[in-house]
Order: sequence, then C-alpha cells, then structure tokens
Amino acid sequence: MRHLINANVNGRERELSVKSNQTLLEVLRDDLRLKGTREGCSVGVCGSCTVLVDGKPVSSCLMLASNAEGKEVLTIEGLGQAGNLDPVQQAFLDHQAFQCGFCTPGMIMAVKGLLNENAKPDEAEVRDYLSGNICRCGTYVEVMAAIEDLTAKP
Amino acid sequence: MRDFDLLEPKTIPEACGMLAAGEDVRPVSGGTALLILVKQGLLRPRSLVNLKKLEGANAIRRDAGGAVRIEAMATIHEVETSQVVREHLPVLAEACHQVANIRIRHLATIGGNLAHGDHQSDPPGVLVALGAEVELSGAGGTRALKLADFLLGTYETALEPGEMVTAVTVPPVEGRLVGGYLKFTTGSSEERPCAGITALVRLDGDRPVEARLAVGAVASRPLLLCEADPAEAALEAMADRAAEEIDPIPDLRGSAEYKRHLVRVLGRRAMAAAWAEAGS
Amino acid sequence: MSAVGSSTPRVDGDAKVRGAAQYTADIELAGMLHAKALRSPHPHAKLVGIDVSKAAALPGVIAIVTRDDLEGLNPYYGAVVEDQPVLAMDRVRCVGDIVVAVAAEEREIAEEAVELIEVEYEPLPAVFDVVESARAGAPIIHEERFETQAAIFREQLNLNAGGNVCSVFRAGDGDVDAGFAEADEIFENTYRMPPVQHGHIEPHVATAVWESPGRLLVHTPCQNAVGLQEQLARIFNIPESGVRVVVPHVGGGYGGKTHARLEPVTALLARKAGRPVQWVLTREEVFLTGRRYGAFVRMKTGFKRDGRLVAREVDVFYDLGAYALSGPANAKTGSYVASGPYRVPNRRLTTYAVYTNLPPAGPYRGVGVPHVAWAYESEMDRIARHLGMDPVELRLKNLLQEGDVFVTGESLVSVGISDCLRQVASGIGWRGREEQSNGAREGSLRRGKGLAVIMKSTTTPTASAASVRLNGDGSVMLLTSSTEMGQGVRTCLAQIVADRLGMPVERVTVSAPDTDVTPYDKSTSSSRTTFHMGNAALRAAEEVREQLLEAGAQGLEVDKADLELGADGVRVKGVPDRGLTVPQLLRVKYGDSVGSIFGSSNFQVKGGLDPKTGKGKAAAFWFFSACGAEVEVDVETGKVRVLNVATSVDVGKAINPLQCWLQNEGSMLEALGAAFFEEMVFEQGQPVNGTLLEYMLPSMQDHPERFQSLLVETPHPEGPFGAKGVGEAVIPAVVPAIGNAVANALGGLNVTELPLRPERIVAALAEREASTR
Repeated sequence: MRHLINANVNGRERELSVKSNQTLLEVLRDDLRLKGTREGCSVGVCGSCTVLVDGKPVSSCLMLASNAEGKEVLTIEGLGQAGNLDPVQQAFLDHQAFQCGFCTPGMIMAVKGLLNENAKPDEAEVRDYLSGNICRCGTYVEVMAAIEDLTAKP
Repeated sequence: MRDFDLLEPKTIPEACGMLAAGEDVRPVSGGTALLILVKQGLLRPRSLVNLKKLEGANAIRRDAGGAVRIEAMATIHEVETSQVVREHLPVLAEACHQVANIRIRHLATIGGNLAHGDHQSDPPGVLVALGAEVELSGAGGTRALKLADFLLGTYETALEPGEMVTAVTVPPVEGRLVGGYLKFTTGSSEERPCAGITALVRLDGDRPVEARLAVGAVASRPLLLCEADPAEAALEAMADRAAEEIDPIPDLRGSAEYKRHLVRVLGRRAMAAAWAEAGS
Repeated sequence: MSAVGSSTPRVDGDAKVRGAAQYTADIELAGMLHAKALRSPHPHAKLVGIDVSKAAALPGVIAIVTRDDLEGLNPYYGAVVEDQPVLAMDRVRCVGDIVVAVAAEEREIAEEAVELIEVEYEPLPAVFDVVESARAGAPIIHEERFETQAAIFREQLNLNAGGNVCSVFRAGDGDVDAGFAEADEIFENTYRMPPVQHGHIEPHVATAVWESPGRLLVHTPCQNAVGLQEQLARIFNIPESGVRVVVPHVGGGYGGKTHARLEPVTALLARKAGRPVQWVLTREEVFLTGRRYGAFVRMKTGFKRDGRLVAREVDVFYDLGAYALSGPANAKTGSYVASGPYRVPNRRLTTYAVYTNLPPAGPYRGVGVPHVAWAYESEMDRIARHLGMDPVELRLKNLLQEGDVFVTGESLVSVGISDCLRQVASGIGWRGREEQSNGAREGSLRRGKGLAVIMKSTTTPTASAASVRLNGDGSVMLLTSSTEMGQGVRTCLAQIVADRLGMPVERVTVSAPDTDVTPYDKSTSSSRTTFHMGNAALRAAEEVREQLLEAGAQGLEVDKADLELGADGVRVKGVPDRGLTVPQLLRVKYGDSVGSIFGSSNFQVKGGLDPKTGKGKAAAFWFFSACGAEVEVDVETGKVRVLNVATSVDVGKAINPLQCWLQNEGSMLEALGAAFFEEMVFEQGQPVNGTLLEYMLPSMQDHPERFQSLLVETPHPEGPFGAKGVGEAVIPAVVPAIGNAVANALGGLNVTELPLRPERIVAALAEREASTR
C-alpha cells in the first residue's frame, strides 16, 4: 500500500509516494539517496539516524514515512555545504569532535535540535540532551567543547 | 520491516471502526515500541491504524475543577514541556523527561506508552501515584477506568478489541502535592528503569494529610501504597511494606531479591526527600 | 613547523561533518540485490536437510546458496585455522551460524524468502562454559583437525591441543616450584571476564560483484583488505590478483572488522546471482557475528614480605566460540604478559584457546590482555593491602625497566611504564597508603581511588608496504592498505610523509585500501599501523626525497648535501632563490616535465616465538600504559559514579597528540562500559541481550566527570620519529584501575567477576558482612 505525501525535505517541497511500512530513514536513504543519515541500531537507541522534523530531533528509523506528511524534514545534507558549513559543523571541525564519523551526522542534527530548544545549555543540559546519541569512538568531551564554543558566542 | 497496510483515520470513531476489524489490526501512534516488535518479527499485523493523523487528539488542558486532561496523542515531550503539567503535575514532567531519549520523546505518545503496557517505563508508575484515569473509546462509546485497573500486567491492559486510549486524566488534588520521581538504572544512563519510585506527600496547608509511594518498573504493574495522616516515622515502614508486597520480575538488571532490596532503599530515600520538601 | 608532533586537523574532517563520507552501505551498484541469511536457532546440531523450494519460487528471489553451492570450492576459511565454513556443512556450531543465504530484488523479499526455507536439524549436546569445554568428555565441537595455510602460524602456535582446546601457549622462566617455596606468602585467586561487543555503530556490511568469472570486486569496511583478498581467492580458487577488495570509510572497527565475516557468503551469492549483492547485517546479527573473548583466569602469586614478586603461575582459558578466527594468536598475546609488566624471576604462564558453542569471538582492542590484566592488577592491590604497602610503591618496586630481559628472552626497549604510573597517580591526586582506607564518605556514598599498569605486544612478525607518488603539480599520493576507521591513520601517515618531504600536510592524500592498487599490509590491527606503516611510508617518502635531491643536484650542479626540500621543490641551503620546482625537477630527471616520482618500501619486522620454549621476539615494540580512577560507590544500591579517570601511554612519540587523546578517550569509555555493565549474556547458547536496547553502550552521561589523556614519550629506536602505537593501549588498564578504586572505596573488597553491576557489589558487601559477623 502506498501513500502520497507532501513534505519539505531540506528546503525543497516534495511529493513522495511512500509505502505503508517504510520508515522515514528508508525514504531518505533509499528513495532520496540522502545517505548521510545512517542506520546503526534500528531501535531508536544509537542516534545515527537522527534528523529534524519541524525542528525537533527524531529517530528516523522508528518514524513511519507517512507521518512526514506536511512536515519539514532536515537532514545533514540540508545544513552547510563545503566551504560554507553550518556553525555546528564548523564547531565539530574546529574541535575534531568525531573519529570514525559514522554517528557524526546524527550527532550534529541532535546538537541542532538542542540549540533550537535551548540556546544556552549548560553542561548538565548538554549531557542530558545528547546522551541518546552514542559515539562508540567515545568523542564526547570534544562534542561538549564544540557546543560550549558555539554557545559562548554572543 | 515486513509489509502491512497503514490505515489512516481522521477521527476517533473512524479509528475505532478500523480497529474492530480483527486481531491482526493494531493501532500505532509514535511507533517507537510497536515498530520494533514488527521489525523483530514478534508482531505481524496485517494492518496498522495510524493514530498520528487524528485531528486534535493531543491537547493538554486543565479544567475548571482542576483535573488535568492529556489527550492520548500528546507526545511524551509535549507532556514534559507542557506549562499545565509543569505547573500542576511537576512530578509527571520530571518522569516524562526521563523516558528514553529526546528523539523518542518527540515521537512516542502518552497514550501509546500506556496502551503498550510495558512495565519497564517511567510514566505509568507516576500516573498511578497521581490517581490517573484513562479514557477508552470504542465502537460502543467511551468509558473511563482507573489507570491502576487498566494496567493488568506486562503488555497486558484492559483494552477491549476495537478500543483505544484517547486520554489520560489526573483528578484534581485536594491541597498540594510535593515529592518527586526517582529513576534507578543499573547500567548505562540510557537504560530503561530498573526501578522507578514516585513518592508524594499531600498537604492541606502545611499539614501532611496523605503519603503515596508508587513503585514502577519492578513488577508487571505499578504498586501503589497510600497512608493517611502520615507521620515521619511511618515513611520507612511504607517503603518496607512496598518491598514486601512487590513481586519483582527478575532480569539482567537484577534478581528479584536485589530489586526488592532496591525498593526498600530507594523507597525510603524518595519518601524522605518528599517529606523534607513537605516540611520546607 | 614540522608536521610531525602537531595536532594537525583530520584530513577527512570536512566529508565527515557534512555526512558526505561514503560508507559501504552507501554504495549502490547498478542491478544490486539485497541479501538475507537463514541462521541456526540451535547452538549445536546436525544439519539433516534443507528445502529451499518455496523460497526459490518467491518472485524477486534471484539466488539462494546452501552448502551444495560450495562444491568445487574451498568451503572452510579462517585467519589462523581454517575451521569456519562459508555456509554450514554437516552441522551448525552456534546460534547464528549461517545455513542458507538469499539474494533478492528487495530487502523485504529476501526476508520473506528466508522464512519460507525449511531446515531439519538434529540437536547435539552443546557446551558453553569455557572451562567445562576444555575438560575431557565435553561434547566435541570440531570433529576434524584443521590445518593452517599460513606457515607463520604452523611454526609459531601449538594447534590442535586436543578436545575443544584449539591451541595452547606456554611461556615461562626460572623454577616456579622453588619460587613458591621461597615466597613468604602465596595468593591464589580466580577471575572472570565475560564476552562483550565491539559496538561499532556501523554494522558489518559487504557489497560484492563478479565482473567476470575470475574477477571479484568486494566493498567492505574491513580492517584487513589484503588478508581478506587472500582468503577470498583461496575459497573461490582464483589468483589473489583476481580479487579486488576496496575499503570505503569505516564506521568503527575496534578489532571487530579485522577478519572475514560476511564477505565470503556475499561473494558466493553474487557469483550465483550474476549480479551485485549487498548485505547489511541487522544489529541482532552483529551480536551473533563477533565479540570479545570471555575468559577464566586462575592466578597464583608468591611474594616476599618486602613486596618483591618471586613466583607466578597463571592459567587462562579464552572462549573462542564456535570458530577460532585469530583466537590462537590472540591467546598467545595473553600468555607471556600474564604475569604483568613486572620482574618475576619464576613463572609458568599458560593460555588455552577453547571452542564453545557460542557465536564466534575475535580480536577486540587489547585482544588477550584485558583478561589477564584484570587479574594481575587486582592481585597487586590485594598484595599491597596485605603488606600494608602503597600500591604505587609496590608496583614501582616490581616494574620492568629499560633493558630488562623479558620472559620471552628479549631485551625491552622504550619502557616508560614507571613514568606512566607516576603520571596517572598525580592525575588523580594519589596520596599514598591512605588511599587504601581513607576514602571520603557521606551517607551511603564511599569514595575510592585505584590504579593499574599494563604491557602489551604488537603482532610480530609482520610486514607493511607503502608507495609514495609525487605528481607533476607537487601533490603527493600515499598508497597504503591501512584502513582509516576513525583512529586517524590517514592524518598520521600524511603527517609523516609531509614531514619527510618538507611540504604542507594538505598536499598529501592518503589512499583508501584498494588491493588492485595499494600494496601489502598485514592488517590495521594491534595498534601496529603508526609503527609499521609509518615506517613504510617514511621510507617510501625517503626514496622520493632522494630522487628529488639527485635531480636537483644534477640540475643545479651542486652537491646533494647542499640541497634541501622546500614546499615547491628543491633549493640550495641558505640560498632560497636558487632552486628547482617539481616540474623542473621532472624535466631534469625525464627530459620532459611530465610523469611522476615514485618511491616504495616494504617494512618488515622479523621475530616471533618458538612455541616449544616460548622464547624469541614477541613484539616489534611494547605498549606500556597506566590508568588511575576515582569513583564513588553507593553502598546501599551498589551503583558507582566515576568522578575522574586519568590514562597514560608511552607512545614513543606522539605524531598527532590530539588523535592520541581521542584514541585514549575512546578506549577508556569502552573499558568503562565493560567495567560496569557491558556483558553479552547467553542462556543455553541463545543471546539474552542481543540488541542495543538491552545491551547498551556508554553514553555522554556515563562519561566520567573528568578525564585526562596523558602521554609519555620514550622514543623507540626503530619507530618512525620514535613513535610506537596507541589505539588499544589503555583499554586493559582501565578496568582493573576502576576495580581497584571500587575495592578501595569499600575498604578492600575486590569483586572478581565483571561487570561490576550494582547487584554484584551489594552481594559482595553482604557476603563480607555475613563472614565478619
């Protein structure tokens, strides 16, 4: 069974035909070929598939694609481009806040979500908000430093 | 994920009609629990009824009498950040904030959480402590049930075929409730609760008129103990009684014996904290 | 500024923050099919019959492979012993063994097809406990004795030790019985470490296509492209040159992607389908595919009243699971260090690699060392407490020193371990003996500090080769089969090459492994890359440098010794405007300013141990590391909070200090998970917590409140710029340091079984209370 939905993906209005059992992650990766959003655990724990829906981070592996109807979906590809990075991407680069890079797009989208909700999070709030995004390389201190840097700017 | 048909009703009666079609038709709201079961092949529905597109089913309001009504499709995040909840039921906001992670809280709904009947979750115990009622809608109309009577066991609820949870209502509090929710995990911070303790003291002016201790996530359903006109000396006994009465489910997080021990230790701590707050 | 020794930003940073870095699952080939496997539900069973007819009839199913499709091929493979069938042959040996694989047009079709396959099993007795499995009379898991193709393993391991014992390795010296007789005191204890997950967030995945019958192309996040190439060539009876293994970006490995896992089946499916096939494992399958060895350790120590260790006897049983992979070699790495980084004159150290009916294990950061370190460092603290000595003082008294002759007979060089210990002691504010008894307490909370030190070898003997190509525009390619999996190898190698050629790092591009193009490398494992591939890259760059200087000397008519390399080419020392650019140098060399300058090197370390005596050269270089930790234990709930962790590694020379920090932080956090909650639980061989919902990895909330990565630099005479390695160095030290901190918080209560779950701590406290009542 297919559903015709309208959604704004990375700033572009799209009409998408999605299957009943398709997750948003599958539509992004398989149909729209947006491969920066990645599957790690498929159960909403690791955070590698984090995207923003109407500005809020969600696990795209557990969101039915049909529910993107009328929503704004933002993936890592919708942030900055080479030479014109989003400030969060730039802060991650400046602090070398990643190693293998697999979880990085999800982590960056989660940080975008955090700053949408709370422009000046303290360390406890950062840890609380991001603790659902797992980096097995363990690069958490640097992510925290990147956020501290971002929020210190006036 | 195995294929299914996704039915998308716009109204609650329409949804109930679809749900009445058979055993292999299941409701889905946030999907954060159900889709995992489908992915793992533990559930093989022919159709899922998508409740996310129901119109206006996520309002959170306090009525003139002081009851707080949370419609089922409110996300856990909407509950934890709701001004009404924060002001009048801060313990519920506190517990909802500790559910899973931010991504799941943006997807999962309070109705789905309760209807799923998973005992290893934060909100059910708190809502039982608050004396919440669930509103169930089906082809035959709407009925209300105490949440404590709705939760029958692990993945077991009083939902009849064709019924869905449409709201959860917390009755007005006579006086003022103080206290909090204590979540205990044995491993990573991200684990589901090994124990979730809600300790509340109800005050009439400055006078404690009732103590409530609810234990969630330990047994197949929350355990609630209430004590009228409590004295400080009675609080520890409440925790001890909870530890005796609870029937813990052993798992990787702990044996039944350890969980019983936790209920005693954490129950005492939570009651003491609530009492201290009541006195301040 | 020299490129080496600075925290140069990662060369892959921009692609990673934009999500543009391509991982294997991101690759789509035209006509690509999707794979799914039917796996054994039994831990041990005879395979009686397979009926795939219903699955084959399902529209969209293109190929189904079973044991019948292995006819004419070499069905068994393995890194050390060839004991693992591509698909189950006569029996299954663990839950998750692959019995049938399906390739279909869509993932869902493949999933549905798998459910239509009917398999008849005849269950066999199974064994899950490693000690039981090693006993005579245990159900035999491999009836056949396996040979190894690799001469190096035939010569250096004692294989087929009997029953389920795949291999045994013994190291030792002195007279152990006399040593125990001489001892004032003898301690004997046992320790257990459970299996854990590597936890790489990118699951195992492979894409395979046969471009012609003798030509296989595989994309995979493998840490060992060349080793995989060799294995695939052997399975399919084609020359190694017929197999092309390409490694895109890798989403974490930590040892878990060192060996062939799903590539052979994917290639078999692709061959039968005649189309490209991609197989991405689900997380549940990852849990059935790889893990760290569990182990049981028995340790007996004799010591003098002044704290000197005089004798030690250790037996370790590593649980391999159903297949050996590199288990025998990894168990060997645990043997000779089983008495720790200490001078112990009399010792008998034995490690056994034992099959069980659990899913196969494999190397994970630290391979066989965390297991023995957990035991010997717990013992050191027990001994210190017993003698009333400061644990730091006790360790310093016994620690190995530069030039000491080790149990293997080799002289040790670059032994910065005492400095590592002093650094971490200072890093956690260690105050000496009072740390054993004087932890701060508040209500039910008790604070404690603990320390540990370890040593580890790197796999030896091995070789690494590299080529450097200088292009006409002055840009440089380093061709290497080293896998970038997050550890920063591309950046580190670029720094080494840039440094030697006197040019900015940005001008050096480091290839991904592509066995059509990149030369031999043993593997990206054992934290060996900086030392081995670093040396190869350095020497290859050196060759390019020599050619440039020679061309310069010829073109400028000066002596080579008077020239130096600059960012644009060659110039006369002290005369900056007298020089030649790269195009000019090419013209001198080739008569025309086209072409490239090429250098290559094969860096080889000889050595290895005689399996009969345990003597020889165990390591090209030795890791030494230390960890200090401060914790707060809630004695009522058993829950532990980690306040402070300091790690220190003797890296020889930090090529990139920031990447060293990141590697240590990651190792620390993995160890912290293993210390407190990571544990794969099986019931009768069935996984109980085989998803990331039930088996959780440390989060940002679990990160210690404070962490310091400290470095000691004792240059290694053979290392590139004195460098050794870092990746896995701290992992074995962190768990015992935490264990000792918890023990000190509890007034000397050592829990010997991991992980230190709250219930275990509460139970140990209750037991102590009962025994002292």
